[in-house]
Amino acid sequence: MQQLWLIPILPFLGFLLNGVLGKKLSKPVINAIAVGSVLLSFVWVVKTLSGLGAFSGGLEETYKEHYYTWIQSGMLNISVDFAIDRLTAVMLMVVTGVGTLIHIYAVGYMAHESGYYRFFAYLNLFMFFMLILVLGANFLLLFVGWEGVGLCSYLLIGFYFLEKFATDAGNKAFIVNRIGDFGFALAIFLVAGRFGSLDFTTVLTQVKGMPVEATAGIFTVISLLLLVGATGKSAQIPLYVWLPDAMAGPTPVSALIHAATMVTAGVYMIARTSQIYLHSPWALDIVAIVGLTTAFVAATIGLAQNDIKKVFAYSTVSQLGYMFVGLGVGAFSAGIFHLMTHAFFKALLFLGAGSVIHACSGEQDMRNMGGLRKYTPITMVTLLCGSLAIAGFPFLSGAASKDLILEAAYEHAPWMYWVGVFTAGMTAFYVFRAFFLTFFGEYKGKPAAGHGHGHDDHGHDSHGSTPHESPAVMWIPLAILAVLSVGGGFINIPHFLEPLFPVQEGEPARWLEYVATAAGLGGIALAYLFYVVSPGLPESLATSFKGIHTLIYNKYFVDEFYDATVVEPLVDGSRQLLWRVADVQVIDGVANGIGSTARGLGGVLRRAQSGYIRSYAAWVLAGSILAIAYIGFMGLAR
Amino acid sequence: MPIASFLPTNADYARFLPEILLTLAGTLIMFLEALRPEGKKSNAGVFAIIALVMALPASLMATPGPAFQGMLVVDGMATFFRTLVIVVGLLMVFSSTDYLRREKQETGEYYALVLFSIVGQCVMVTANELIMIFIGLEISSIASYILAGYLRDDARNNESALKYFLLGSFATAFLLYGVAWIYGATGSTNLTEIRRALTSGVAPPEAMIGVAAALIFVGLAFKISAAPFQGWAPDVYQGAPAPVSAFLTVGPKAAAFAVLMRVFLGSLETAASHWMPAIWVCALATMVVGNFAAIMQSNIKRLLAYSSIAHAGYVLVAVAANSGTGSAAVMFYLAAYAFTNIGAFAVVTYFGRAGEKYVAIDDFAGLAQRQPAMAAMLTIFLLSLIGVPLTGGFFGKFYIFKAALDANLIWLTVLGLLNSAVAAYYYLRILVVMYMREPGQSVENLPPAGALLQIAVYGSAVGTVLLGIFPSLVLDFANRAALR
Amino acid sequence: MTLLDVVLFLPLVGFLLLLILPKESSRMAAMVFSLVVFVVSLGLLMPYWFQYPAGHTFSTNVSWISYPPIRYHVAIDGLSLWLVLLSTLLTPIAVLVSWKYIDKRVKEYYAFLILLEFGVIGVFVAMDLFLFYTFWEVSLVPMYFLIGIWGHERRIYAAVKFFLFTMAGSVLMLGAIIFLYNRTGTFDYGEIQGMIQTGSLVFSPQTELLLFLAFFIAFAIKVPLFPLHTWLPDAHVEAPTAGSLMLASVMLKMGTYGLVRFCLPLFPESARRCAPWIAGLAVIGIIYGALVALVQPNMKKLVAYSSVSHLGFVVLGIFTFTQQGLDGAVYQMLNHGISTGALFILVGYLYERRHSLEISAYGGVATPAPNLAIVFLITTLASIGLPTLNNFVGEYLVLQGTANANFGWAVFAALGVIFSACYMLWLYQRTFYGKASESLAHHMPDLTMREWAAIAPLLILMVWMGSFAQSFLPSISVQNAAILESTKKLRVERVAIPARQTAEVSRANR
Repeated sequence: MQQLWLIPILPFLGFLLNGVLGKKLSKPVINAIAVGSVLLSFVWVVKTLSGLGAFSGGLEETYKEHYYTWIQSGMLNISVDFAIDRLTAVMLMVVTGVGTLIHIYAVGYMAHESGYYRFFAYLNLFMFFMLILVLGANFLLLFVGWEGVGLCSYLLIGFYFLEKFATDAGNKAFIVNRIGDFGFALAIFLVAGRFGSLDFTTVLTQVKGMPVEATAGIFTVISLLLLVGATGKSAQIPLYVWLPDAMAGPTPVSALIHAATMVTAGVYMIARTSQIYLHSPWALDIVAIVGLTTAFVAATIGLAQNDIKKVFAYSTVSQLGYMFVGLGVGAFSAGIFHLMTHAFFKALLFLGAGSVIHACSGEQDMRNMGGLRKYTPITMVTLLCGSLAIAGFPFLSGAASKDLILEAAYEHAPWMYWVGVFTAGMTAFYVFRAFFLTFFGEYKGKPAAGHGHGHDDHGHDSHGSTPHESPAVMWIPLAILAVLSVGGGFINIPHFLEPLFPVQEGEPARWLEYVATAAGLGGIALAYLFYVVSPGLPESLATSFKGIHTLIYNKYFVDEFYDATVVEPLVDGSRQLLWRVADVQVIDGVANGIGSTARGLGGVLRRAQSGYIRSYAAWVLAGSILAIAYIGFMGLAR
Repeated sequence: MPIASFLPTNADYARFLPEILLTLAGTLIMFLEALRPEGKKSNAGVFAIIALVMALPASLMATPGPAFQGMLVVDGMATFFRTLVIVVGLLMVFSSTDYLRREKQETGEYYALVLFSIVGQCVMVTANELIMIFIGLEISSIASYILAGYLRDDARNNESALKYFLLGSFATAFLLYGVAWIYGATGSTNLTEIRRALTSGVAPPEAMIGVAAALIFVGLAFKISAAPFQGWAPDVYQGAPAPVSAFLTVGPKAAAFAVLMRVFLGSLETAASHWMPAIWVCALATMVVGNFAAIMQSNIKRLLAYSSIAHAGYVLVAVAANSGTGSAAVMFYLAAYAFTNIGAFAVVTYFGRAGEKYVAIDDFAGLAQRQPAMAAMLTIFLLSLIGVPLTGGFFGKFYIFKAALDANLIWLTVLGLLNSAVAAYYYLRILVVMYMREPGQSVENLPPAGALLQIAVYGSAVGTVLLGIFPSLVLDFANRAALR
Repeated sequence: MTLLDVVLFLPLVGFLLLLILPKESSRMAAMVFSLVVFVVSLGLLMPYWFQYPAGHTFSTNVSWISYPPIRYHVAIDGLSLWLVLLSTLLTPIAVLVSWKYIDKRVKEYYAFLILLEFGVIGVFVAMDLFLFYTFWEVSLVPMYFLIGIWGHERRIYAAVKFFLFTMAGSVLMLGAIIFLYNRTGTFDYGEIQGMIQTGSLVFSPQTELLLFLAFFIAFAIKVPLFPLHTWLPDAHVEAPTAGSLMLASVMLKMGTYGLVRFCLPLFPESARRCAPWIAGLAVIGIIYGALVALVQPNMKKLVAYSSVSHLGFVVLGIFTFTQQGLDGAVYQMLNHGISTGALFILVGYLYERRHSLEISAYGGVATPAPNLAIVFLITTLASIGLPTLNNFVGEYLVLQGTANANFGWAVFAALGVIFSACYMLWLYQRTFYGKASESLAHHMPDLTMREWAAIAPLLILMVWMGSFAQSFLPSISVQNAAILESTKKLRVERVAIPARQTAEVSRANR
């Protein structure tokens, strides 16, 4: 026994301690508990993996531990089992590793926040559920983690619950995810119904033995339903709308949950169930197309955002799109590879952004920044690493994984490759747009403090007016992540995952790589031209392409569209039609109607009771005549 | 044939003992009242109670068999009903004394009349002879007419008495005419003879029997206030003194039902296919009229009057079943209903105060907070009238509908059940007022209830609940007593 | 005289005792008494803790009424066990939440509360149809008074509506019970079921359908199943906290319990025949209840409509005729009892502080009363079916069963899960988040020890039932398997004996 259960339980204990006693504990203790528990669980992961020989070419087979039966009904048996294979290993390393760093960073970032213990309690709880998600050995456990991380994301987005937009964003995230989970759940029902079990190994080995579907069949349905779930959690079209709003949460949350780990759950889930997808080429295509579209659309939106976190949020959506492309074209290992590198550089970017916001006392609008390279050199350097990585600068982590995906896409369908490359160019452009706007030019922030109107302004007011570098506890994690973003590409994940995913045979043409890289560099250059050389250019362009600009600036009005077509009709319909009419008037009306008719009849009978003897006598007479007629002469008739 | 054979034997007298006792007591009371010096308190009530208490064992122990050349017959059913009406009389006397004291009418005639009325009912239920039935009916009725108008200066009493008298005699005429037809058809007024005549090879023309049956049915239907002959009931019950109303809704009705069963389930059984549909229709009409008219009432006496009509309807359902279980159900129901209704009226009597000032339902507001015990008792009675389990009323309904289903009267059962659901509505209104409204001045400083009244109330309550938990006490008796 | 008899009659004794005791001590007495009942009732777990007997335990079967043979026959099995425990657990909690809330006519109040416990326990343990009906009606009366006397403004309308709706349904059931007796000569559930099993009692399809409907409507009103639900919102809104608690958590279960206990085993043919229609109504109820809940301005109404939605799942599960569906349904009965009960308690806490049920009267409660906020959050999450909390297990099993039976139903039913998140989270946001107004913050003390004591057991159960379902499910599962089996076996036999059927039909037609 490797005691896998310790991995999630440690953060859970942290959650309990901080959650229950937190109010009475001092900050250092809270930090110790929060960071310590995650760090320990990271250590335990490393120990377990080395114990299983993951670092030494071992762990070819899935290693599984059974704890107890959770639900047993008829033939259906659902147990609490944890399992580790190489895919899980990657996820575990990323989640606990990056998680630890972000926890450390948060200690500094949240130092001045109210509800400090609450924040770390939630963060630990998130780690718990995320680890359940990756360790779970059956669909339902995966679903448990899936929902659990959704909950934590809800709680942390709405962390500043005094602000309506924060809690709105929280609700939006949870509900949109619920829509995704709806699909996921249906998929689970189908799986259980079809295979009589939810255990991954049992189900997937059964699937392996089955023929690939020529036409859309059960596998296609299951795959697509799973995809619905994935699009919710991993913010793909059409359910990506919650992620940008989710930036209402504190920046470490955006980094950990909405960039590095949780949002990649969808990718993990599809990779986990790859067997099913491989049996439905049709579904795989859909995955690729969804991913590609998302990547492209999100990138275009990213071009025109001014809130630094929003920019990175859309870039996250876009990057997740790449991962889906990878999965969709059958390059699962490439997708997971990109998942990892993205975790590095996107976490870095967000934390860097956080550091910048921190420096500018909660300011998030890049137009009010600029010239920060003087004040926050370390942040700038680290952020540069991250930006280069995401832009696909040669030999950096981003490039390595992204190129793999693009090559696979070219194998699958060249046009996908070209769209991907174009998107890569845009990505490079807007990331560096952000970079230049932030660090170059002159500082445009207001001199006085407390003007930050950004989401994070709570508690930051205490800072002076001029920007300042973040404390070590914040920049050390940045530095580590920077190193990872730079060198992460040399961790050969595809090779590591070979036992799980067939690797594409045949060396792809070199030029594919060059073109992609060129696109990235081109984007950077363009950004430099626009925002450093001649800053006036963007304005003129924006004015000349007014229509497009407003369109992408307003995110294609998708939120408005959803509100108008789904939310409002639903609410108004329920209020006006279902409640006021159907329930109150029709259904209850009938019930009360019966009552009033009874009363009416009573009134009639009451009035029949005139009180006059003659009328009573008349009744008696009439009655007797009837009786005689009936009893007597009916008899005669016979 | 020697004269001696026509002379009554001791056995005859023994079987007739309850009636004799009660008659003597009644006459004695009248006599003493005449002698009672002005201003001296009358203790006629005590006499009446003693007489009734003595009549009880006399009725229970009467050995079965015919008496007076088969004019009377003591069988299970006779014993059951005779006992029932005597108990009813007892409870009625208990609940009356307070009332009379309150109304400054503590005269002995009242009790004498009660006793005579009971005698009449006893004769009705033991009679095996249409003429005897008629006589019993008259004895009972005439006494009742006077009781209904007992407070001679009270306009409502007078109206009540007058209506009761006029319509009563009107209906009795039908009965008598029916008897004549029977005699014409069968040459006898003895129920056993009639049955034999109808079953014999040379059966009289069906039409004649039918007409006779119809006429008799009308006469009895009036007494049990079955629609469309129920018109008098609400006015009479509302106008009469509360204890008398209680008595009228139970005693004469029970007797009339006994006769109905004797005549129709007994003698005219062979013609069942003729009169059955009439009873079926009558039962349904009675339930509907009673229940729905009751919904709109604001006076509790009138409401209970309509409810008593409705209950007569339920009982008719059991009669319509035309079976042993049916007649057993009738007996049980009437017993349960007797306790329940007398109890309810007793509470109303107590609550109504001098001149029955407070008999509007709204006057009961907050009774539960001022008089929890009385309110609780009334609750028990009302729940029994609704037919909630663990009360006699429930088992009554249960047996009735069981019998009806036995006889395949599915639709009558369903409609009856739905009716009982409707009935819940107006009984609940009283509960609502008692428990859920704030007390009004009507419930303030009520005088404490007299001992006898309390006996009446609690006695009835105990009876109601006992019949609800151990119905066998009465039901086994009823089953043994049931015809066929 | 088994332990079950003690559990059943202790409340009755308590009721009588409360009537005698002075009103000052009635509150304490009720507390002590209900606690004793609960502790004693835990003894019922004994046979079920380590193995899972299929048949009845603790059965007592003595004659009550000689003719017609009505017997006092009570027993429990895996189905009723948990419902009994739920009732005995919630009664002391109900007393606890009424502690300050009820200030007028205290004595009567607690008397009725304990009497209610007697009634509902009786319903769950009665094995004689007649006895069952008796308790069914008896449990009606105390609740009627609880709503009518201690309720809010429109309490009387609500109380009467509640009584009449239930009455209307149950009279028909009475008719059906009598009919069954006339056919079989017994009221004993076991015997009648046995006859049906062995085929010695066969109804013509029409007759069976009518009987089934007579039972079903009575239960459907109680559940309540759309469109018979309109009494519920009124009853809940007007009832005092404890009233809503007992109504939602226990009394509604009488309906669903009846469906499982009587409708399925006694009339399997018709049950299966009607299943599509009933499932349809259930699914409509799920979505409809959720949507209407979404737009309620009144907290209690919102929770009430959410109950309509939740119980739709239960009914749906029952009529899937699958093991998972039934298990989920029964488990969901308990879950709904726990989580919705908790919701009503918490709404009651809010009401005691602010004296309003309008959601608009709140906002920002989380700041002055963080603990209340957390507890409410956990309960909310439970009721929207978050994994590791109780409702998830039930809803999952129900939907799994439904999907196995008919995937189409499952798709629509699952929509309800989305909507539940919508209305509950929206409620939570509007009530607890945002800045607290001065007056509100002033009147919003955090949970007291007493309030903790009342809610804590339910919170524990939410987690326990959600994470370790197997400490409850097996006994339920065994029982459901038996019920399911009884509905299956019969069909085979029926097909095997058409001759008797035709004979039967002709007998019925004459």
